[in-house]
Amino acid sequence: MQRILTMSFMAILAVPGLAWAADAPGSADLAKALAVLAAGLGFGLAAGLCGIGQGRAAGQAVDAMARQPGAIARIQTAMLLGLAFIESLVLFVFVIAVILLFVKS
Amino acid sequence: MEIIEHPPILHVPAVPDHILYTWIVMAILAVVAIVATRRLSLVPSGTQNFMEMVLEQFVKEMDETVGPQGRPYLPLIMTLGLFILTSNLMGLVPGLIAATANLNTTAACALIVFVTYHVIGVRKQGFVAYMKHFAGPVPTMLKPLMFVIEIISHCARPLSLSLRLFGNMMAGHILLAIFFFMMGFDGMLGWALSGSLAGIAVGAPSAVLMVVFVVGFLYPLKILVAFIQTFIFCKLAMLYIAGAVEEAEHH
Repeated sequence: MQRILTMSFMAILAVPGLAWAADAPGSADLAKALAVLAAGLGFGLAAGLCGIGQGRAAGQAVDAMARQPGAIARIQTAMLLGLAFIESLVLFVFVIAVILLFVKS
Repeated sequence: MEIIEHPPILHVPAVPDHILYTWIVMAILAVVAIVATRRLSLVPSGTQNFMEMVLEQFVKEMDETVGPQGRPYLPLIMTLGLFILTSNLMGLVPGLIAATANLNTTAACALIVFVTYHVIGVRKQGFVAYMKHFAGPVPTMLKPLMFVIEIISHCARPLSLSLRLFGNMMAGHILLAIFFFMMGFDGMLGWALSGSLAGIAVGAPSAVLMVVFVVGFLYPLKILVAFIQTFIFCKLAMLYIAGAVEEAEHH
């Protein structure tokens, strides 16, 4: 029951987006379609792998903080910097995805 | 994107939006600076107290990263930090945009940092000595290779510095725009007000759900991101300056 409710909620939440997407011109062009597909797939891949990487980094940092509570401030700084470097790779993909979405014709 | 994203409420024709909002941030910071230093007192209160607290954070971070040599470069870092923080936070107000959500602004900031730390390095230890450091501590045979790799890595620094800030701010902006769009009269709220039974039964709870999600989760996250991105930009700029300054000490 709960699952059905969740699924229907998700479907309903997706409706405005679907309606918006359906407004696009009818003649679906292959290049545009492939560009949108590439943007979505690429960003999903990048975000997922970034999740793994950041999860590892944050986990190890919390581990280190638990072992050495005295060094929390410095570990936190190092963790933030590391997370920023990992994240910036995703942001490169984000920029590429946005550029791909502007593919015309 | 134009369909879901409302143009900023304040718009002057013939002036690009990010430049207009850069001016606004400059005006805000100038006013705050004037108010904070108008009646300087030994026991600070009000705006002066607040700004001294902010300054102390920057000084602490600078001393930790660069050491006492870093003090001359504090004004640069703090100016960049205050500008980036103010524009990041301004981007969270619906109807305003963040000046940092444009690649031109962030690239300007990153290029300033890039040029500055190279100039510092050259002035501290001379051009030839500074160039030698790019070759690194490797055998003589590998030095040309190392030199090229280091040059490329240094050129990638402003790129990643600017793209990180721009990507974070732009992504947050688009995310908020999409959620406001789905929440608003074109989305759940419009459905709930459409008069149909299904709209009232499903649209109204989901509109409430979305408001709770945006206000309770998305906005705190975005505020956190605004501060963290400012911190990272400043910290990296300090680290680059530290790299240019510290290399002089080894000799």
